[in-house]
Amino acid sequence: MISRRQLLQASLTLGAMQLFPGMSQAQAKRLVFATFTGSWEEAHKAVLVPAFRKSTNNAEIILDPMLSVDQIAKVTAARNNPPIDVMLHDPGPALTAIDQGLVENYPVATSKNYKDLITEAQEETGPAIFFQVVGLTYNPEKIKTPPTSWKDLWSPEYKGRAGITNLNSTLGTGFLVEIAKMNGGSESNIEPGFKALNDLKPNLAAVAANPGALATLFQQGQVDISPGNFNAIQILKARGVPVEFVIPKEGAIAFKTTIHIVKNTQNKELAVALIEAAMTPEVQTKLMQSPYLVVPTNSKVQMEGEISKVLAKDQEEMKKRFVFQDWKKINEQRAQWIERFNREIKL
Amino acid sequence: MSAVKDRLSVTAYPLWLASPLALAMLLFFIAPLLMLGVISFYSDAAMTQWGSGANWSKMFDSFGFMVLGDTLWLGVQVTILSLILGFGLAWVFVRLPAKIQPFVIFIVMLPLLTSVVVRTFAWIVILGKQGIVNNMLMDLGWIEAPLKLLYTRTGLVIALANVQLPLMVLPLITALQRIDLNLSDASASLGASEWQTFKKITIPLSLPGIIAGCLLTFSAAITAFISQSLIGGGQMLFMPMYLYQQVSALSNFPFAAAISLTFLATVVLCVSVFNLLGRLSRGYAV
Repeated sequence: MISRRQLLQASLTLGAMQLFPGMSQAQAKRLVFATFTGSWEEAHKAVLVPAFRKSTNNAEIILDPMLSVDQIAKVTAARNNPPIDVMLHDPGPALTAIDQGLVENYPVATSKNYKDLITEAQEETGPAIFFQVVGLTYNPEKIKTPPTSWKDLWSPEYKGRAGITNLNSTLGTGFLVEIAKMNGGSESNIEPGFKALNDLKPNLAAVAANPGALATLFQQGQVDISPGNFNAIQILKARGVPVEFVIPKEGAIAFKTTIHIVKNTQNKELAVALIEAAMTPEVQTKLMQSPYLVVPTNSKVQMEGEISKVLAKDQEEMKKRFVFQDWKKINEQRAQWIERFNREIKL
Repeated sequence: MSAVKDRLSVTAYPLWLASPLALAMLLFFIAPLLMLGVISFYSDAAMTQWGSGANWSKMFDSFGFMVLGDTLWLGVQVTILSLILGFGLAWVFVRLPAKIQPFVIFIVMLPLLTSVVVRTFAWIVILGKQGIVNNMLMDLGWIEAPLKLLYTRTGLVIALANVQLPLMVLPLITALQRIDLNLSDASASLGASEWQTFKKITIPLSLPGIIAGCLLTFSAAITAFISQSLIGGGQMLFMPMYLYQQVSALSNFPFAAAISLTFLATVVLCVSVFNLLGRLSRGYAV
């Protein structure tokens, strides 16, 4: 019987790392941080990288933006000599990476900034360096009275005008859990969520394949109301698309985006330095300001600007308005939910 | 004896010349493919239990079959539409004055020079509720409320047919150009109607082009992940999305491996059928 590890190591031996040992040595000197693509990369390049350089006496760092699944695949394929030193994950993939033994616990005892993170962000397997927030998005040119509740999506007024994403995304899955909760369900009882999705069908103009595609549909007037990611909506807004973001009275769905040291990295010290820099109030304050608007996790950060206006004026209010979901339970059942969504949600 | 030997060495193909490519294929194509085969027999996403056919029976349950069938049917729909549009275009092209032909070829090729993502987004703009089609129909007063074109099967088939059209038109043009225009004159002088000429002369002689065009369009349409997901939407499930879902959302590589191998085998089977038809058609045409 062939074990998974043997199989993947076979691919490793075929890999360039083994054929060109010089290459892996050259790589060991600089830190590779797999951030997310798009605006996240821009924000990290502009704020986090300079802070890291300053704290490490100009150590070399490469941002290698990629999807969570690619990060996991690349590290799995070369566990003993991973091509990435620091990973960034949404809650679902983070749990997968932890379960598969790809990450090293963060040295919290010796960390200067870890204890300043709000409790929800303190994860020993890798601290959350920002939150992603999902609320209601609407087109203010077409919808004059702003929606106030997730329930508004079902209003007959929005027949053929609402949009959602499928369950491939964190956003789509989180939304399903939230509407299940709203109708008496929970992470372990998703039935009411699917019932609510079926009831939503007459209102649905689109089931987008991903949150990015959903956002562009506002631009085309294809949808006027949908669940939306705060940061994605701010980008659209900055480009002049008529969109507004509100937190529904049930609370906003919040996801922790966690940063992890990859197991067997040869750059552990630099990895820790990067994560430390990402947790500092200075970096998080800068990232919170326009144009990045990244939601901070450090309790010492003073909320200001768009974030204090739209999301929460301080950490106290944030804890009240943000709803964190149990992704451990979600991950266990996500495959079944996706299968069910495939079969049931046809327009 | 030695003369025969010399002649043999001149005409024989030295196989070793192909060995670098063969080695590359073996390393980077066959070996990963075999690995996919092995991976598909793990029964769990974390790949700890090997030797179960669970993924394969799941791939071939009624739902899996439906997704596969629907994907192939989408390919057929797109191919038929492209063939109708493409044949007309190619037919006109070969009758155009030689001076204009390069410009038309340029326009036909233009979509190939643009990225698929850009073309797909263009179709989102065209088909959207405030898109060109809906705005025009509303301005003309033909419709009251915008039609839903985006995220529908019809919209997807039209967009895919446009995106893949060059793949259909180019082989058709080549095939039609090879037909001597005197043949249709001869046919007409012998009393055949235009339709009879088309059916008995033009179609059989352009059959190799039709088959090559259909083959390219079909395989491009069923594998067009970006266009399928952006124009068709997240509620339509075709094989590429089925595969992507397992990998990206669930990290379930074993099931994804089973899906991809099934899809690959199906495409190879379709290609072989088309090739067989192509060989038969050449026999017919000559």
